[in-house]
Amino acid sequence: MTFHAEHPVIPAEPLDPRDPEQSTGTAHTAQKGRNRPQVGIMVALTALVIVAFFPYLFMLLTSFKSKEQFAEQYWLPAWPLALDNYGKAFEQVAPYLFMTFLVAAVSVVAIIFLSLLSGYVLARFTFPGRQFFFLMVVALLMVPNIAALIPRFALARDLGMLNTFPVLVIPYVAGGLVLGTVLMKTFIEGIPQELFDAARVDGAGQGRLFFSIMLPLSFPVIGTVALINLIAIWNDFFWPLLTITENSLKTISVGLLFFQGQSGTDFGAMFAGYMLASLPLLLLFTFFSRYFLAGVQGGLPGSH
Amino acid sequence: MTSNVAGVGSTEETQLRRRPRWRSVAPLYLALLPLALVLGVVEYYPALSGIWYSFFDWNPGGDSPFIGLDNYSRMMGDHIWWQSFRVLGAIFLFAIASWVFPLLGAELLISLRNERAAFVYRTLLIAPMAFPGVVTALVWSFMYHPNDGVINTMLTTIGLGNLAQNWLGDPSIALIALLFVGFPFVAGLQFLVFYSTLQNVPKEIFEAAGIDGVGRLRRFWHIDLPLMATQVRLLFVLTIINTLQYGFVAYLLTAGGPDNATMVPVLRMLNVAFQGQDWGFAAALSTTLFLLTLAFSAIAALVGRRSSISNVRGRR
Repeated sequence: MTFHAEHPVIPAEPLDPRDPEQSTGTAHTAQKGRNRPQVGIMVALTALVIVAFFPYLFMLLTSFKSKEQFAEQYWLPAWPLALDNYGKAFEQVAPYLFMTFLVAAVSVVAIIFLSLLSGYVLARFTFPGRQFFFLMVVALLMVPNIAALIPRFALARDLGMLNTFPVLVIPYVAGGLVLGTVLMKTFIEGIPQELFDAARVDGAGQGRLFFSIMLPLSFPVIGTVALINLIAIWNDFFWPLLTITENSLKTISVGLLFFQGQSGTDFGAMFAGYMLASLPLLLLFTFFSRYFLAGVQGGLPGSH
Repeated sequence: MTSNVAGVGSTEETQLRRRPRWRSVAPLYLALLPLALVLGVVEYYPALSGIWYSFFDWNPGGDSPFIGLDNYSRMMGDHIWWQSFRVLGAIFLFAIASWVFPLLGAELLISLRNERAAFVYRTLLIAPMAFPGVVTALVWSFMYHPNDGVINTMLTTIGLGNLAQNWLGDPSIALIALLFVGFPFVAGLQFLVFYSTLQNVPKEIFEAAGIDGVGRLRRFWHIDLPLMATQVRLLFVLTIINTLQYGFVAYLLTAGGPDNATMVPVLRMLNVAFQGQDWGFAAALSTTLFLLTLAFSAIAALVGRRSSISNVRGRR
């Protein structure tokens, strides 16, 4: 396998890889004459992709096989597709999916509203204690979630909140607010003061400033915060595991574990359930890839 | 909250020039009140009460006598706890060694001249990240399934059936099996960091190296790696923090077994609390873990301040 150090003649403007018009332009023709196609690199990358996708591909294929088909045909796809696996799985997984949607929706709306409000106040006003207040929020970025698990559980139990809806939502709101407030404050500080001044001259009140100026301008950061939290809530495991024993309140990660235990050797239905559980995040990844990556990176310990 | 905050003066950049009067700032405190309440009750109180109760024989709902450092001296003698840190050490070393794959992926991808192909490969390589963690863990638990599992079936199919074994049930290989979950590790933060850092390097540098006849391997050691130094340092600390919190995959696949071979601190802490009902001791373990993570987070924050973290946040 040979690697090339030299690069083709690059146009002054960076190419946008998502724009097919551009990449078939000058770069392509310049490349044709000078360079061998990078077959070695392509092969190596393809190998990496195949290995990375193999378990998920196996899951997808198996999810369409009935018990009998799986027993005869382990590797290759089998016909006809056993679509009723998905029906069976949906029946069991849907309540968990719905519960997760509900928890995520309520938490994300609360997080966005409160962190936008707090970020706005912290970024645009001066008042005694502002710096101290912000520091108290930033300090929490360093508190690992898992370390507060035991005392937080004890608190929820002492308050008699185990197996309730709020016990799921409130910690997510608190966790999301920390990073949310910091991101929002930083973002809102970057909005030019002139916009606010101009609106105020035109007679806009505080409410108008918040809803008509700041809110529309903040959509990018709102998207990032929403996705960070959606992903975090979808993936959270230990908190719902400890606080929820009621089946109807289980979120997807804990519910899926229970579902796996239930499905026994009906692997087709089991994998269909896994596919259903993955679908919402896969869709988000497809349509909001850039926000999604910000979400993956923002959800790290140390920052959350 | 508002009353003790009010005493601290703020002198830095004033957008409103006049001195704030109480009537004009009261709504501001009111707006911040929900944030203060939620963070106080759900973040600050538990973190502090965990430290507090680690000095007690904590019986929730009952008598909790003060016992000083007894929980901590018990921790010093708890061999499962210390063994779990040895496991963590192995996990950490493996995590660092496995950077080879995302590094290789990023280097290959950056060498690709066709921008469209690079975009397709990039998307494919990070797509597995979109699967929920619990799905990945459960799929891998099926890979290791002793009877119908993918790995054992594959070994039997290619005639190496005698190599098939109970991957997660054998104390000598369970940890290795756990570590390989998610192989080839390309779909992860490391890959994103390596790739976006390399992408931000001006192409001229690579071109100049190419003209000077620098080979691909030499370029990696003498140009690419030094350029990534800050990000690598940051990743290093983040990996330590991540490792300290490791527990979710182990819980799903082995629950710390067999024979404590995959027991990690988080699982030990949960076991002490929920199976042993030994809350004071669990609080001591939790506090220790908390302080360790805090120390490393502080280091990460210091390292992160020197690097521009904006580099890490995807492209453009």
